[in-house]
Amino acid sequence: MARTDGLWRVLRGLALAAVLVFFLFPIAWIVLMSFQTNEQILQLPPRVVFTPTLANYAALISGKLHTAAGDLDVPFLRNLGNSVLLSTASVALSLLLGVPAAYAFARFRFRLGENIAFTLLSFRFAPPLLVLLPLSLYFQDLGLSNTYVGLIWVYQLICLPLILWIVRGYFEDASPDVEYAYRVDGHSWWRAFTRIAIPLAGPGIAAAGLLAFIFAWNNFVFALILASADKQPVTVGALAFVTASGIQYGQIAAAIMLSILPTLALALYAQRWLVEGLSLGAVKG
Amino acid sequence: MAEIPDIAAAPPARAGMRALPYLLSLPALLVCIGILVPFGTAAWYSLQRYNLAMPYLRGFVGWAQYLDLFTDPSFWQTVKVSAIYTGATVGVELVLGLAIALLLRERSWFNNFVSVALLLPLMTAPAIAALMFKLMTNPNFGVLSWIIGKFGATDFRWASAPSSAMFTVVLVDVWVYTPFMMILLLAGLRSLPQQPFEAARLDGVPARFVFFRITLPMLTPYIVTASLFRLLDSIQQFDIIYAMTQGGPGDSLLVFQVRAYLEFFQYTNVGLSAALMMVLWAITYALSNLFIKQWLKLRERTHGAH
Amino acid sequence: MHEKAKDLCGAFTAGRVGRRELMRRMAALGVAAATAEVMVNAAATKAMAAGFDWQAHKGTAIKLLLNKHPYADAMIADLDNFKSLTGIDVAYDVFPEDVYFDKVTAALSSRSTEYDAFMTGAYQTWQYGPAGWLVDLNEYVKDPARTAPKYAWDDILPNLRASTSWSGKPGEAPGGPGAKQWAVPWGFELNNLSYNQTLFDKLKLAPPKDLPGMLETAAKITRDAGGPYGIGVRGSRSWATIHPGFLSGYTSYGGRDFTIEGGKLKAAMASPQSKEFTRLWVKMIQDSGPKNWATYTWYQVGTDLGAGASGMIFDADILGYFMNGGDNKERGHLAYAAFAAKPGAATPTSNVWIWSLAMSNASKKKDAAWNFMQWATGTDHLMFGARKKDMVNPIRASVWKDPEFLDRMKQGYPGYIEQYNATAPEAKIYFTPQPLFFNLTTDWAAALQRMVAKEVPVDEGLDKLAEQINRQLKQSGLG
Repeated sequence: MARTDGLWRVLRGLALAAVLVFFLFPIAWIVLMSFQTNEQILQLPPRVVFTPTLANYAALISGKLHTAAGDLDVPFLRNLGNSVLLSTASVALSLLLGVPAAYAFARFRFRLGENIAFTLLSFRFAPPLLVLLPLSLYFQDLGLSNTYVGLIWVYQLICLPLILWIVRGYFEDASPDVEYAYRVDGHSWWRAFTRIAIPLAGPGIAAAGLLAFIFAWNNFVFALILASADKQPVTVGALAFVTASGIQYGQIAAAIMLSILPTLALALYAQRWLVEGLSLGAVKG
Repeated sequence: MAEIPDIAAAPPARAGMRALPYLLSLPALLVCIGILVPFGTAAWYSLQRYNLAMPYLRGFVGWAQYLDLFTDPSFWQTVKVSAIYTGATVGVELVLGLAIALLLRERSWFNNFVSVALLLPLMTAPAIAALMFKLMTNPNFGVLSWIIGKFGATDFRWASAPSSAMFTVVLVDVWVYTPFMMILLLAGLRSLPQQPFEAARLDGVPARFVFFRITLPMLTPYIVTASLFRLLDSIQQFDIIYAMTQGGPGDSLLVFQVRAYLEFFQYTNVGLSAALMMVLWAITYALSNLFIKQWLKLRERTHGAH
Repeated sequence: MHEKAKDLCGAFTAGRVGRRELMRRMAALGVAAATAEVMVNAAATKAMAAGFDWQAHKGTAIKLLLNKHPYADAMIADLDNFKSLTGIDVAYDVFPEDVYFDKVTAALSSRSTEYDAFMTGAYQTWQYGPAGWLVDLNEYVKDPARTAPKYAWDDILPNLRASTSWSGKPGEAPGGPGAKQWAVPWGFELNNLSYNQTLFDKLKLAPPKDLPGMLETAAKITRDAGGPYGIGVRGSRSWATIHPGFLSGYTSYGGRDFTIEGGKLKAAMASPQSKEFTRLWVKMIQDSGPKNWATYTWYQVGTDLGAGASGMIFDADILGYFMNGGDNKERGHLAYAAFAAKPGAATPTSNVWIWSLAMSNASKKKDAAWNFMQWATGTDHLMFGARKKDMVNPIRASVWKDPEFLDRMKQGYPGYIEQYNATAPEAKIYFTPQPLFFNLTTDWAAALQRMVAKEVPVDEGLDKLAEQINRQLKQSGLG
């Protein structure tokens, strides 16, 4: 029995190592690439030991890209700023709209309630292109095309259902008894909601917000179609290093790294809510 | 907790309180309802012959466009490719995600660290992940090409051969989304009650028996939910495939959204693009119905068990 | 210092000071070479102002939609001159080429008033024009009140002027009677051979003369060069795979895209000429093309040549031009040659790609936009671009006669001028204009991909392609 235990342990370790390599190797490799010049990247066999250069990051941060055809302006930091703005504002709005709605679905039984909830959830699963095509026409008429407001509105398609879905489960998990007692004490409904319900659902709200942030950050096609160049997020901006006069592999790698960093930082900071939040809210409901 | 005490009703009911849930949920609904207008427009387009480059041909054709679509072999190719892609990604991600979740099941400092580290790919935008894999599979300097070359596979062409293109995009999808599946299943595993497992251990029940007769059945609701969620996303795949091959080589990766995107933005064929999207919408609507019903059932069951 | 420099520029344009002398004295004033160039151009621009009221739309602001391209970069570098000449303010959005045309379609189809003018190719105007999104520029070019006398429309190469105009009737050749000028040429590409001279010398190879020769040379490189593959051509699932080397060679073999019978289009991809050519082309890629050919676009084809991963390319001449500079490993090692695919053919039949400027019909500032367009495609700016930036190939006959430009090309780009001169007479758009262009060329590229992957034999693949295209033509009432 002890021998199989030891063997099991070794196997388990090996399996975990393989899993880590599979999921982390690509990122590690891109990190290495981001510190190499184009010439070093284009060499075979690939190198692990090399003299690192910060030129790629410097080019991104200064916004000047050197190519065969001279200097190009690359507003990558602006793209990064746009991503932060769009994702943050969209999640904030979704929380503002979604948390009260989630509370309503969790705490009240009301006519059409389930229907409304279902409609909202199903938005998460509609093909984005389906609405995007006519939307570009309407945006023109509404004066929303090429505005952050318009984009944030469309981003609700990604964020709002997700938040609703997770947070609702959270509210249902928390017993209403506490709120009830608080209300019997003579406090208003609003106070019960803000003082009791929201703090109790805190971790779930954090997890939902984080997940919605990730999905908003990763979106590619909405801004591309609906906004002009100065409002594009990093997912579109990362394509700018493929230029007519050559592909800047090092800068692509550096851009990828810079585009992952903010979500990574956020996720590391909020990781305990992410794992636990999902475990309680998302699935269990 | 099967019957939720209605706290609006508990204190003396007032008209204001009855309106409250609507007041709370309507803003969210209104924000999304705006989206229904373009949806209706798209449905209307799908009933028209409508190519922007040939305005003189525009006209109402009823179901003719759908009929054209259903009799066109390339449409069935799209259905087939979408089904294979969805089946392969969800299948692999489920098995892999479940295996990893089982490995990380115990709560320990190390396991928590690993599970967070594994979330990294999920932070990478799919469009950007595709770009990464394009770099790594480049035959001239790509590290993956070099590594498999060392093992004698010098002629493996990744996304550029029809035989391996599907494998390549599925690989990227698996890389990005397995962590999502893993974290949902891990969450499920950790919330399972402990008694059955302890009893089985005391009785010396073999591990395989425990897995198939206890773990798996108890985990099934979680597996179904997570799979359906991924299924709905996967059938609508766009970013990864478009960035890798634009649907090629040949028609080997021409899934729904890629085809609809090409039809609209490159061929300006609004009508056909809308019809394709409506078909996809019908599929996802049916699936999401299933998904939400399943989720509601699961919720009832967990609440009932308390 | 600034005044003195300005005086100098004035003296230069008045012919009192020579160019070399001017640059020397500018340097003495502490003006950096690049700045000096722009200032000189400013003086020249002023000279151009004679006889036309450039200030008529002073205070207007226009916005451009641009592709990330050296042409756009050259224009942006010179843009201050336009602003001071006209008092028009110019803003611009630059998008990466991968998504550029999708963005143009999105903007135009939504009737966005955001952009007044934008970059386009000629093929795109076959969609945009009939859709009603473009202004027929004949209204401007032929109106002396709107166009400066020095603009010299006739100085733009005639094939290019014709190739950017079309009647809008599917099947009618570009530039025919009743053609509308949907765009103004800005810069263009011929499709020829760019090769790695150093590698060719090492293997004692001469640039191939025809397609069978190209197959042989490419196979030799793949076999003997110890790493690099023989020939780079594009292969992604896109129209862009069809229009460069492929269509140029296809035309040389006598292939046509469509035949026209009684005003109806009929696919001609299953013709014997097409089959003969396509068999060779497919074999060439299978034997000595890049391994990931089916994902190859302009970028990969070029990067490989610049990095020494391929021996030659049959693609845009300016792609080879770009790869000979910058920080490419093979910079300075590349050479150019004209290429006629069919053995014994007298002249190359190069299909052309023309980056052009077009005006959006939704624009509310059309006259100001036209002033920008005539400046950007005018002699002064293009001369500046050709001498100092990468505005090659120039679209104006006068620029091709400029000794400074010719000197620069001869020194840095061996064989470039020769390939240009040999190819230019027969260079034009060899596609038949029709609104399904992108649809059908994408199908064409997909069919090539299947043949190269050996999923279908070439003859059968072409028969199927022709069938498929005929069906689509019928559905749209074109066939």
